[in-house]
Amino acid sequence: MSRMLLIAVAALLVTGCTAREASNTASNEGPAASAAQNQSAGPGCARGKTGYPQVELKGAMVGFSQSEKEANPFRTAETQSIRDEAAKRGAELLYTNAQSDLNKQISDIKSLIDRGVKLLIVAPLNSDGLQPAFDAAKAKQVPVVTIDRKVTSQPCADYLTFIGSDFVKQGERAAQQMIKATGGNGKVAILLGASGNNVTVDRTKGFKDGIKGTPGLTVVAEQTGEFDRSKGQAVMEQLIQSNPDITAVYAENDEMGVGAVTALKAAGKQPGKDVKVVSIDGTRNAVQLIADGSYTAVVESNPRFGPLAFDTLEKFGKGDEIPATIVISDDEYDTTNAAQKLGNAY
Amino acid sequence: MTTTLTKSGPTPTKAARTKVLQRQGAAVALVLMVAVSWLVFPRFGSLDNLRDLALQGSFLAIIAIGMTFVIITGGIDLSVGSLYALGGVLAAWGSQYGFLAALALPLVVCGLIGLVNGLLIAKTNMAPFIVTLASLLFARGLLLAITDEGANTYKIDGDSAFVELGRGTVAGFGYPIFVAAVLAVLGGMVLNRTNFGQNVFATGGAEQSAVLLGVPVAKTKVLVYTMSGTLAGLAGALTAAYLQSGVTVIGVGLELDAIAVVVIGGTLLTGGMGTILGTVIGVGLIKVIQNVINQIGTLDSNYQSVVSGVFLLVVVVLQRILRR
Repeated sequence: MSRMLLIAVAALLVTGCTAREASNTASNEGPAASAAQNQSAGPGCARGKTGYPQVELKGAMVGFSQSEKEANPFRTAETQSIRDEAAKRGAELLYTNAQSDLNKQISDIKSLIDRGVKLLIVAPLNSDGLQPAFDAAKAKQVPVVTIDRKVTSQPCADYLTFIGSDFVKQGERAAQQMIKATGGNGKVAILLGASGNNVTVDRTKGFKDGIKGTPGLTVVAEQTGEFDRSKGQAVMEQLIQSNPDITAVYAENDEMGVGAVTALKAAGKQPGKDVKVVSIDGTRNAVQLIADGSYTAVVESNPRFGPLAFDTLEKFGKGDEIPATIVISDDEYDTTNAAQKLGNAY
Repeated sequence: MTTTLTKSGPTPTKAARTKVLQRQGAAVALVLMVAVSWLVFPRFGSLDNLRDLALQGSFLAIIAIGMTFVIITGGIDLSVGSLYALGGVLAAWGSQYGFLAALALPLVVCGLIGLVNGLLIAKTNMAPFIVTLASLLFARGLLLAITDEGANTYKIDGDSAFVELGRGTVAGFGYPIFVAAVLAVLGGMVLNRTNFGQNVFATGGAEQSAVLLGVPVAKTKVLVYTMSGTLAGLAGALTAAYLQSGVTVIGVGLELDAIAVVVIGGTLLTGGMGTILGTVIGVGLIKVIQNVINQIGTLDSNYQSVVSGVFLLVVVVLQRILRR
């Protein structure tokens, strides 16, 4: 009994780990994220209003709290971009990774502040629950720029601004690509992202809104692949069994899309031809598949926040007004441009 | 398994030595870690850092106290991580109906799930591992169902009395630290000074003999799992108050942390022996390791799990050797 227990507990511990695939050599050659043209105008946040001190970026200690382990290309490229930009501007970067543990992210941020950072960049693990960390930053007058996931706290008061993609828009653009590729007729399977995540909710909403005016396109199945390649593949295998007439797949990130391609090929289908595959992210693997002809289109979600995040902190220091949300402009890859733009993928 | 009924091992002298090594081993490691960190990292000893350390440890400690009782009976409770998250969501949802609802709802629901765990384990003789694995999945599923697959996070009004429970402080030390401390003292007293405590040891030491001697084994088991579930719910409620929202993504894998600190603290995974003090030391050790790796800063935070894992392994191996 005791031995069985030990083995069982050990097995549980092991399942927590996943293998990390060989990272792509050059993940950071592509263009950095830039702010989209038409930002929603609203009352901005100026340093004068907050009473925070001016911080010279050069030589400053800047903290970066990453949310998840860097097992996917998006996180790798995001962290690299912040590191590169910090080095370029002569700032000293302190880096922590919360490993998907919210309580750890709070103590990570608190300890960064405790170690004396003057500026903070946070990739939040979750939209809610970081309030204690923001309060600690507020108490020490450290401005916080949040990237990639939006939090529900108060901009300008709890954090300075949010820099990220418009996930609903990404879903809508994926829908347009799908309509174009299928000619407006087909049976679509959706591979949803992880539950409890606004990225999943928004990308689903955008896509469904996008195909609403196209009665020929019907969603026949939606299942979560949890943003994971092997789960995406497993779910796709089941969907092919239950719905053999699927003609299109919308994956809410590239990793699941790449997994779906593997499943489709194993089932004797030709992804990119008789089953269209559209996803969001812009990873090297997916864009390469488009160039090879077995993928349809990818809507980019640019993870290279470094330059824009530091620009924003610099502007704030100078006293400029910072909008509460800075939406970045994302690119698109399809069969016409994938080969040329492969270098932009991460 | 031992054949004697007392909480000591095969022979008194060896048992005494085993106990000392098991308990003091972790304590010595903790004292060393703290002393070295204090000297090496100037910010480790700062009051802010120590307060945060204690607060972070308090949530885990509350869960680990319940886990200590369960493991001493020779069982295991894998459902606590899910119950912790569920407790937080229920507290956040309940907070719209006032302080009492926010506190009572998670305690009652998580306590009931713990009660069902205990009844199934005690009455049907199913393995605790399987029963609590099922409720791990059940509670996580229930949580997703009441939050629209996690899309809907319940917020707690920042001015409410309930938030004060998680964020209020005495001399800068958060209330959850005091809750954990009181529970640890109570837990230690219940374990060592009451009949129920004796029954817990007897159940884990040699269950069949305990049954023959008239120890209410079934009742004891039901009680420890109910306690473990209730404490997990309480820790979740306090966390929700601290975070001002019922966050759905927390608690994944927390049951393993709780088991790890209990074992590091010298409680035998086979049951029959263990202390609350050891568990508290185990929590301290894990949290100090995490904190120190943050202080080093340049070290990859993956090493936290590596170091905790090595500690766990050493303790389990030592227990095995010492029990021969």
